[in-house]
Amino acid sequence: MTRRNQVFKWLVYTLGLLLVWVLDVHILGRLPVLSTVPVLLPVAAATVAVLEGGAAGAGFGLGTGLLWEISALDSGGWAVIFLAVCGLLCGSAAQFALTQGFIGCMICSAAVMAALECIHLLVGLFTQLAPPALLVEVAVKELVWSLVWAPAVYLIFRAIFRRVGRDRLAN
Amino acid sequence: MKDFFRQNGLLLLLIAVLLSILLAVVGTFLGGSADPLSDFFSILTTPVRTAASAVAHWGEGVYNYVVNYDDLYQELDDLHTQVAEMEEQVRQAQDALRENEELRELLNLQEKRRDFTFASARVTAPETSNWHSTLTISKGSSSGVEAGDCVINARGELVGVVSTVGTNSAEVATLIDLDTDIGGMVARTYSAGVLEGDFALMEQGKLRLNYLPDGAQLIAGDEVLTSGRGGVYPSGLVVGQVEGVFDDPSGATRYAVVNPAADLDSLFQVFVILDFDIVE
Repeated sequence: MTRRNQVFKWLVYTLGLLLVWVLDVHILGRLPVLSTVPVLLPVAAATVAVLEGGAAGAGFGLGTGLLWEISALDSGGWAVIFLAVCGLLCGSAAQFALTQGFIGCMICSAAVMAALECIHLLVGLFTQLAPPALLVEVAVKELVWSLVWAPAVYLIFRAIFRRVGRDRLAN
Repeated sequence: MKDFFRQNGLLLLLIAVLLSILLAVVGTFLGGSADPLSDFFSILTTPVRTAASAVAHWGEGVYNYVVNYDDLYQELDDLHTQVAEMEEQVRQAQDALRENEELRELLNLQEKRRDFTFASARVTAPETSNWHSTLTISKGSSSGVEAGDCVINARGELVGVVSTVGTNSAEVATLIDLDTDIGGMVARTYSAGVLEGDFALMEQGKLRLNYLPDGAQLIAGDEVLTSGRGGVYPSGLVVGQVEGVFDDPSGATRYAVVNPAADLDSLFQVFVILDFDIVE
């Protein structure tokens, strides 16, 4: 595949990511359900990693983490490395242990969200943010509500994958 | 492509680590100010956020008109009644104001005046986290907004405090956010306390008035205002109403649960208080 094709491919993936970001922040962010809004960027990183493999997943995770950080004015920086590692692990797991399809995407999305909620819980416990039961309740609601939207994210990136995924542009 | 990433996977991770550290360091050292990358992104996405906000606001209006027509009609009737009542209250207040001025003269009190300087702004993005309560507004440092400025709605009710400032946008921690730490006072009894966010109450859209004095006799519905102690925030801003008074789990102090007066879920236009005089 030529460099031009590679650039085009990842440009299309970036547009898909921006679509998910708009959906996440500007649409679903205004419609909380049970006081909970979904978090779709980690799901997007996991989905593309499963479809494209470990190394590409790490790169896309890095970009997704960067978008996540810079879209908030007070960034902490941790999301970049978190999603890059998640992308690498999810992509590798899908390549060698899971299927590179819907089931793999759902499993990896659940794993990434679970890891994210664990971080939130640890930070919450460490800073004594609230009673543990309450922290768990918020974390579980966030995880479940994000996974409810995971199929929609999968459909967006599967549509992109079918057109420009892997080495399709080389054919 | 895959070979490229396979060969450069470690390099990507290294770049990710460096970016994380860079963002963390910049975020730490800038404190209150947006890092340049986020600021640039914010400027770049301003049209998107403004358009999304306008479309959402229009959509809400259409939805409310279509679905809640009967309710709106009833609400209009209620509002007519309220206007009549309020006109009567205004007449009474004018009498009270005159009386108050006369009393001031009698007591030879020096009249202090408080002048607010406002910057109007639109809410361009709602909170998008389940762990904090924040809003993004359309004014930033180019309009004189600074971290720590109070944000109110058109009725003068406190919405929150600016936490991070970009060039043309700012993030506002709403008053139910965990970072809230403002001097508060119950208008009826002058009982002072500290308004603080609470994680459990944040989900319900409420906050706490902590460290109430022992003898404070509060009742549900009491109005809570900012006390202005320390001169950091203006005094007299309406925060909300007391919902109930409870003993702290330690038993040492009591606190009140406060229901914010501002409707934080449907904000569109807000006002940033850029400058104010301290009332003594």
